[in-house]
Amino acid sequence: MFVEIPAPVKLAAPTAGKPSVVRRASRALPPYLYLAPALALLVIWTYRPLVQTAQLSFYSWNLLPTQPMLPAGLDNYRRLLELPELGQSVTRTFVVIAGLLPFTIVIPVLVGLLTKQIGGRARNFYQGLVFAPMLVAPVASAAVWRWLLDPGAGVANRVLGTGNNWINEAATANPSIILITGWHLVGFAVLVVSAGLSNISGDYAEAAQLDGATRWQITRWITLPLLSPTLVFLVLMTVLLSAQWTFPLIDTLTQGGPADATTNIYYLLWDYSFHSFDAGLGAAAGMLFFIGFGLVAAVLVWLSERLTFHDN
Amino acid sequence: MWRTVRGHLVLAVLGLLCVFPIYWLYATSLREPGDILSLNPLPWPLSVENYTDAASKIDMLGLLRNTMIVALFTAFGQLLTGLLAAYAFAAWKFPFQRVLFLLFVGTWLVPFQVTMLPNYVLLFQMGMLNTLAGVVIPNLCSALGVLMLRQHLDSFPKELLEASRMDGRSSWTTLWTVVVPNLRPALAALAILLFVNAWNEYFWPAMVLQRNNAVLQLGLRSFMGSEGNDWGPLMAVAGLACLPVFVLYLVLQRHIVNAFVRSGLK
Repeated sequence: MFVEIPAPVKLAAPTAGKPSVVRRASRALPPYLYLAPALALLVIWTYRPLVQTAQLSFYSWNLLPTQPMLPAGLDNYRRLLELPELGQSVTRTFVVIAGLLPFTIVIPVLVGLLTKQIGGRARNFYQGLVFAPMLVAPVASAAVWRWLLDPGAGVANRVLGTGNNWINEAATANPSIILITGWHLVGFAVLVVSAGLSNISGDYAEAAQLDGATRWQITRWITLPLLSPTLVFLVLMTVLLSAQWTFPLIDTLTQGGPADATTNIYYLLWDYSFHSFDAGLGAAAGMLFFIGFGLVAAVLVWLSERLTFHDN
Repeated sequence: MWRTVRGHLVLAVLGLLCVFPIYWLYATSLREPGDILSLNPLPWPLSVENYTDAASKIDMLGLLRNTMIVALFTAFGQLLTGLLAAYAFAAWKFPFQRVLFLLFVGTWLVPFQVTMLPNYVLLFQMGMLNTLAGVVIPNLCSALGVLMLRQHLDSFPKELLEASRMDGRSSWTTLWTVVVPNLRPALAALAILLFVNAWNEYFWPAMVLQRNNAVLQLGLRSFMGSEGNDWGPLMAVAGLACLPVFVLYLVLQRHIVNAFVRSGLK
């Protein structure tokens, strides 16, 4: 309202014959000024530590400020690759991701296809129910699932008539973590798929129907290919979210046990740095993880460009 | 007809399965202590004894207050830095624009576990370990916020920005008098999303607040450790830890769902 004072400066700018250096700078500056806070935070809290982790991975250090960091060359990487735990934890990470795909791809696609007819208020209501687990804090979810899966009094065992110690037995611990994570994510994935399905124009299916295509043929050759960008996106999400959601569950429910049965790569990184106080090893594992993560993401982005059919 | 029935059936079963653990959490917390093991789906007679019991063992109000402070400051800070950055990307063309934007997108690829050690050391040097500020400050920029707001701003009519400049308003005034009022729904949706995420955040507070467990998620974790099988009070604490988010959800369901689905990522 009363902030019209800067106006003359702005108006004067274009009329000046030769823009002075100062004025040119002042005109080029604004975007950088607006960017500055976010960028500064990003550099300080994401990229600086990334570089430092890269450096640290070549040193030997036990996290104590009084202790010097000793150069170690490639020693950390060598030790890391010789550890049997690393290979196992990577395998377990893939098992977790594979175990989550039914929850984030298979169920959502089936549900999406089977419920196309439901619309309006009913749909909103169901979606409201299905999405709720995504909002449950992971620690609260750990608490309630420990209660549901309790060996003696838990609902699961009493309904099934069994006495399994689901979370604390090596055979069922990792599947339990997968189930709980899947429970968190399934509703979200259902919503993403149903949004993807509703973006597909009905014209194609109609045209195919006129040509005598069966319902299954339409699904297989029209709907699923058009849905593939959504599905590739969901695979990428599964990879990214599995790190985020499994960690708090493992940290509160199993601490990586029993007998390392739930130690995936995310938990292993934490364990190296903060329990073993082996910063160099933790950093080396972090760097390998970062590179692996980047490769997986790159492959998925490449896939999504190769495989997807764009609906123009 | 059969298809509609089948559709309802599928969604109802899935909905029940999804909601059951949440229902059971609150049902258990409201049972009388003697009924905790009951399988009766209805918690009857109702009792708040588990809640009073929990309140005597753990400082619920303090935890709620601390978590609220952390979540509000984090969400507000992320909204502000995100808005300014998105405005820069959308309203100007400048050298290194693409590179700088990729810096934001690139944060997806830097997992938390890779940066935690140096960040932990830096917080230690700044003397911010075990403080709420140490939880908030490193999280004041959210790449998600920048990306989402940029999407909205890219579809924002450039004529409005142009007109405002013709009127002689500075870019700062334009931001607050033209852009923000028009962006209000998007800002509100994003604010809720950021608040929910900050409220449920576990990893970073767990690192920073190792000594005092001052936010709800950590208080709940330590309660799980000490009162592990005391299911009634444990469910009461867990229920309270989720309650503010669920209240928001009941009021703003559509907006929250849309914000999450649109953002893709948490």
